[in-house]
Amino acid sequence: MSPRNDHERSLIDRRRFLAVATTGVAALAGCDSFGSRRLEPALAAAQRANERVERRLFRHRSEDRIPGGARLTGNAFPQYFVSDSVPIWDEAARGVWRLEVSGAVRRPLSLSLDDLQKLPRVAQSVDHFCVEGWTARAQWIGVRVNELARAAGATSDAQYVDFQSFDSDYHESWDMASAMHPQTLVAFAMDGRYLNAGHGAPARLHSPVKLGYKNTKYLTRVVFMPARNGGYWSDRGYEWYGGT
Amino acid sequence: MSLTKRTHWVVRVTHWVNVVALPLMVASGLRIFNAYPAFARKGESFCCYPFEGKPIPAALTFGGWLAGARHWHFAIMWVLVVNAIVYLAFLYAHGEWRELAPRRGDARRAWEMIAFYAFARKNHPRQGKHNALQKTAYFAMPVIATVIVVSGIAIWKPVQLHWLTMLFGGYVWARYVHFMAMILLVVLVFGHIFMVFAVDPYALRSMISGWYNEDLSPEARNARPFYHLLPRRKSAVGEPMRTEA
Repeated sequence: MSPRNDHERSLIDRRRFLAVATTGVAALAGCDSFGSRRLEPALAAAQRANERVERRLFRHRSEDRIPGGARLTGNAFPQYFVSDSVPIWDEAARGVWRLEVSGAVRRPLSLSLDDLQKLPRVAQSVDHFCVEGWTARAQWIGVRVNELARAAGATSDAQYVDFQSFDSDYHESWDMASAMHPQTLVAFAMDGRYLNAGHGAPARLHSPVKLGYKNTKYLTRVVFMPARNGGYWSDRGYEWYGGT
Repeated sequence: MSLTKRTHWVVRVTHWVNVVALPLMVASGLRIFNAYPAFARKGESFCCYPFEGKPIPAALTFGGWLAGARHWHFAIMWVLVVNAIVYLAFLYAHGEWRELAPRRGDARRAWEMIAFYAFARKNHPRQGKHNALQKTAYFAMPVIATVIVVSGIAIWKPVQLHWLTMLFGGYVWARYVHFMAMILLVVLVFGHIFMVFAVDPYALRSMISGWYNEDLSPEARNARPFYHLLPRRKSAVGEPMRTEA
């Protein structure tokens, strides 16, 4: 399938996804046909309890492994963004793209793509777990977020990390432990090529330890924070934790 | 009338909790499934599901949208797991597991029941509290439920519990096992409901109050599905003779 077709298909997927999501938000906010209004506190309590279980279960040493020689997904890897059209960094209007690493750090960083690529990098072939239930496999090359934290000197106030983007107002905040996982990367290459626009160029977050929607694409800022900061889908009803 | 206390309150309570929670769990699971109603990894095909890409009818789903269904699914899972633990602990502590555990001769007794239902045998076999077919179903249900729970954990935490997911052959297969085991459980549940109404509706009383009228048992009525549903007339011994018109 040609990239263009693939992209068109993903646009349709995205519209349908948004339409369904909007209906869902309206249903949750507007009516209580399932008695969900009165039961919402119970569901929220269950979600908090689940998050405690999930955070206790979390181990840095638990890593995603795909079998050696396994096929990568390639062009069938869905492209996804929330803006009306594929977000492309406008250098004329916004200057050269830079990645800001800031917040609860001793040395805030502003990295050009070159700077980012000069940091110690890793290459990993891992699964991508979408909240919808599909998975895909790709090889990512990038810099560990824990490497960025080290370079910027994250302080003990850094309990959460917000990953922000130039894809409209898309962002997702993470717990520190998941962000520091060795498989959590700021990736700039996928399957041996620099990221293309559909997959979050010039750099994106990718990690198998969180569901797809937690992995911010079109990254602009990595902000270490003392408190969580929600997220695009987390604020629209999906679990904030979203761990795998 | 010979009333006996047949069903312990723990069994009754856990049964009716299941009646409420299981449909919600299945329907919210089907709504989650509908977000990607297929098993294949992206760009690949899947051997063993004939309806790849076909969503489940929305009327059978619950939760409204993916996130809502996930909240329900991840909340009710605790209700069902705790409920199952209470039930199984009771079976163990009270020794009632003996009435459900497979025993030598079950296959033969199950065959007797099938022969009876197929009119190849005249009288209802007497096989104790549960006949061999019931016993097999009631034993299989918690076993299948365990498979569902474990495969569910495997697709909930495919990275943190990677070893568990790999026991199922990876995420795709764990998801498939989770789905197919659910189908099997639903089939058993529908079989159970059918048999209650078609063979022994009087058992509803014992699942509500615990009391069971042995005079109305399938054995006493010689009942097959939809046969001898009504109580049998008492024997005519000692009654005045009816005169023919």
